[in-house]
Amino acid sequence: MRLIWKLLREHISIGQLIGFFCANLFGMIIILLSVQFYKDILPLFTEGDSFMKKDYLIVSKKISTLGTFSGKSNTFTPEEISDLKQQSFTKTVGIFTPSQFKVSAGLGMQEAGIHLSTDMFFEAVPNEFVDINLEKWQFDSNTKVIPIIIPRNYLNLYNFGFAQSRSLPKLSEGLMSLIEMDITMTGNGRSEQFKGNIVGFSNRLNTILVPASFMDWANKEFASDEVSHPARLIVEVKNPADPTIASYFQKNGYESEDGKLDAGKTAYFLQLIVGIVLSIGLFITILSFYILMLSIFLLLQKNTTKLENLLLIGYSPFKVALPYQILTLSLNFLVFILAIGSVYYLRSYYMEAVSMIFPQLPSNNLFPTIYIGLSLFAVVSTMNIIVISRKVKAIWIHN
Amino acid sequence: MDNIYLQQTLPQVFADFNITTSDIWLKSVCFNKGEFYLIEAASGTGKSSLCSYLYGIRRDYEGSFLFDRTNIKEYSITQWTNLRKESLSLLFQDLRLFPELSALENVLLKNNLTHFKTVKEIESLFDAMDIKDKINIKAGKLSFGQQQRVAFIRSLCQPFDFILLDEPISHLDDKNGVIMGEIIVDEAKKQQAGVIVTSIGKHIELPYHTILKL
Repeated sequence: MRLIWKLLREHISIGQLIGFFCANLFGMIIILLSVQFYKDILPLFTEGDSFMKKDYLIVSKKISTLGTFSGKSNTFTPEEISDLKQQSFTKTVGIFTPSQFKVSAGLGMQEAGIHLSTDMFFEAVPNEFVDINLEKWQFDSNTKVIPIIIPRNYLNLYNFGFAQSRSLPKLSEGLMSLIEMDITMTGNGRSEQFKGNIVGFSNRLNTILVPASFMDWANKEFASDEVSHPARLIVEVKNPADPTIASYFQKNGYESEDGKLDAGKTAYFLQLIVGIVLSIGLFITILSFYILMLSIFLLLQKNTTKLENLLLIGYSPFKVALPYQILTLSLNFLVFILAIGSVYYLRSYYMEAVSMIFPQLPSNNLFPTIYIGLSLFAVVSTMNIIVISRKVKAIWIHN
Repeated sequence: MDNIYLQQTLPQVFADFNITTSDIWLKSVCFNKGEFYLIEAASGTGKSSLCSYLYGIRRDYEGSFLFDRTNIKEYSITQWTNLRKESLSLLFQDLRLFPELSALENVLLKNNLTHFKTVKEIESLFDAMDIKDKINIKAGKLSFGQQQRVAFIRSLCQPFDFILLDEPISHLDDKNGVIMGEIIVDEAKKQQAGVIVTSIGKHIELPYHTILKL
């Protein structure tokens, strides 16, 4: 091996290899950094409702003063729903099913001597919109425990408003999910006790959510059979920045709850920009790949006679190609390691700034970036190895 | 490999000529393991082409070459590589040494592949061929005669059933030619190998079984 290397390293152009090295490193850093940046920053715009799908809107009809007095319904008719389903921006439409019975919930801590009780309501959306472990999102008729998702605002209201003013203990989200609520449901001349268990908090859903299957069952049990029209719809859209959504809503007098479209838009533009930067990085990487291939081709061309002679004295094409393959492989690996290192270093800079502005940002790790870097390394190296083998084989055939 | 058969072979460039006097072209010839053959030729009669065909370097011929009944056109790259490592050795007319490596390194490059001889054995071959003092000199700095001897030593650094020597003593004096002859006989006996020597005039003295005119 030492002798072969001594033979074949001749004519290696250090300049060309440095050129490749820098270009590839540069391209790789751009790719990996943009991926990492995207991963780090995206949660800012999507405000992680980890259990809700990303691109959905909650649609309701505008409630106007005139409408209230004239008794105009603000519910959606089946025709309106099917029309919405047929729009090009729509992926799926789900309806909010409201509870048609009385619900009162109590929250008690015997030890502290506190008992809060309130009338409330439930709503349900189809399971496909709730991205939560389905085992958790199931009503258990034996233990009578209902899983519930409540708006995060409610907790904030309690912690920063109520508890603050009455010097009550503050509750964390983790603690809240340990507490069981007493729920009484009344209707249809019956009354029954249940337990409620909070399984999630939502930033975006302004309602108290229970599983759809439970709601269907409860409505049948506690309410008369009358069919109610939904007042709110949940719509999964292909692209929240689509301008046709806004014009369609305006035409029909719908509104989507607060500025959810904006976060979607920002996330979309972030995607767009990261996409552009990513493709520039990819372009540089591809170019650097060509530099390396050209350099290796030139090297093989200059060493053709030597390679020929090695093949003639009994060296297999595999053995002859090996030194060059190891050379490119080590270069690629070095680039990969340095790129990951640089991303780590650069990331610490912007993360410092970002975490000062948004302290609640969940911290991500480098693993996705490492995976992507590793797969890039694998793809580029495999291509290098194949091209070199074929070139050496070509020398054999030419013989 | 025990036999090499030539069936009606002819270099394609000779296709338009009327070859009648050759003992090899367009004839059926069989080379057997353990026997010594001399192929005498005038230049331009396809002597090096014959070696190239037998060694799998070129395929521009008509007819067929068979190694133990297998047509060599069917050999894969791996088969050729193994053949060149284990059963067929060739002393190239143009030597094909690596000028940037020393004489010893040139030989070791082959021996590292086969591990057929010890460094000691190689050194004693250098000694026998009277180029012991050139062992660490770059091959490119040696005279053609010296290089011829280095290439010869290299061709011995592998097991073989047949060894092809393409004008082995074209640049050697008589004394070295005799020594080379002794070494060939010795090695061939040890491995019970066939020896095929080509020559365009001065030829190495060996106990030939058959002399063919190309």
